Amino acid sequence: MKFLCVSCNEAMKLREVNPPERGSLTVIYRCPKCAQEFAMLTNPYETQVVGSLGVKVGGESAEGVGESKCPFAGVVQGLTEEQGVANIEWTTEASTRLDKVPEFARPMAKVGIERYAKERGFTRVDAQVLDQAKEFFGM
Amino acid sequence: MKSYYDIVGDGGSDIVGQVEAQQERIVRSLSGVRNLVAVGSGKGGVGKSTLTMQLACALRASGHAVSILDADLNGPCQARLGGLKAWIPVPGERGVPLPKAPNGIGVVSMGSMVPEPRAVDFASVASGSSHTWRATREFTILRELLASMDWGALDFLLVDLPPGAERIVQYAELLGSSSLFILVTIPSDLSRGVVARSIDALANTPNRILGYIENMDGYYCADCGNVKPLFPASSKVKLDLACLGSVPFDPELAALCDRGGSLSDSPQSVSWQSVKRIVEKVVRAASAKALCSEEKA
Repeated sequence: MKFLCVSCNEAMKLREVNPPERGSLTVIYRCPKCAQEFAMLTNPYETQVVGSLGVKVGGESAEGVGESKCPFAGVVQGLTEEQGVANIEWTTEASTRLDKVPEFARPMAKVGIERYAKERGFTRVDAQVLDQAKEFFGM
Repeated sequence: MKSYYDIVGDGGSDIVGQVEAQQERIVRSLSGVRNLVAVGSGKGGVGKSTLTMQLACALRASGHAVSILDADLNGPCQARLGGLKAWIPVPGERGVPLPKAPNGIGVVSMGSMVPEPRAVDFASVASGSSHTWRATREFTILRELLASMDWGALDFLLVDLPPGAERIVQYAELLGSSSLFILVTIPSDLSRGVVARSIDALANTPNRILGYIENMDGYYCADCGNVKPLFPASSKVKLDLACLGSVPFDPELAALCDRGGSLSDSPQSVSWQSVKRIVEKVVRAASAKALCSEEKA
């Protein structure tokens, strides 16, 4: 989808994306020529369709915008109820590696790894803990 | 006034670029896979998943590196068939390593991530509308799995497809034009009729079908050692495709499936011998494809 400022005949640029509120995204565009702004307000169906594509409105670095929720919500809930919420720190390196996990499975992976770390007395997840967990879960 | 095609980019989100980047990651991730073979049918309940696992076992037994992707997200069977325990995806340096079943085969299946009897449930910000976006979400998840897993060097990656004759085309598009197909039927016109639809649907794609397997072709009686008819003899519907072989219904195989075993544990069984013969044909046909591709190149 592209937006055109009709009076300037100029492509509008994305300025801001606000996270979904009750399923609706607010996406603000601005005309680089006349600075006219408008907001696109999506309905929940439109938000969901974009999220289902695995892309993010606002670009890849946008936080949590247009994402579908985790299909493992029940599993994650089970893991946290069993062990309580783990107070585990993640090193930058480990967090970067976590990004390699498919986005839909990331919340479940994070809780599972934290649980693994907590059970073994680790207070933070680093590359070494990830390697150990990888061996453990690799079967 | 400018049209859509006069404007470069989409103003900031680069949605098309994000989708293309994901496709490039899939190509990179699968670069070590020599043969991507989808096992489908169109028809449900004909034994696609069971055969997929047994074909993988026979491929492994004949010295091939093989893994399985269970593309049936809603009715995943491969975790149980492979005897996998609960699994958490832990990232390695090059992606997420595949969980290995006790038989040594790498198996990626929702079944090892979502414990039975829980159903996979994609929560939505648009409640009551999942029928409008669910298919898109499923294919996105499969793309993410293909892109994120560390498939490594494989002779065969078998993809266990869900039912749906028309949907088989969507899987062909997802897996790429060089992916191969094996179709599974049972000896009934009801099943063959649906498989014929899948053949017709795939005819519009560049993908090659290696052939079909006739599963449950008779009932293997362990007491008398004979294979007896299971379905009434009827073959009004002919499949215009090479038959790779047939496998009898074997209660021993059914028991093995429930406990995650392989027919290779019973090397003398009629079913295992049948699967081994089919695999020989699959390997030959896949090699022929590779030769053909090299000649074209």
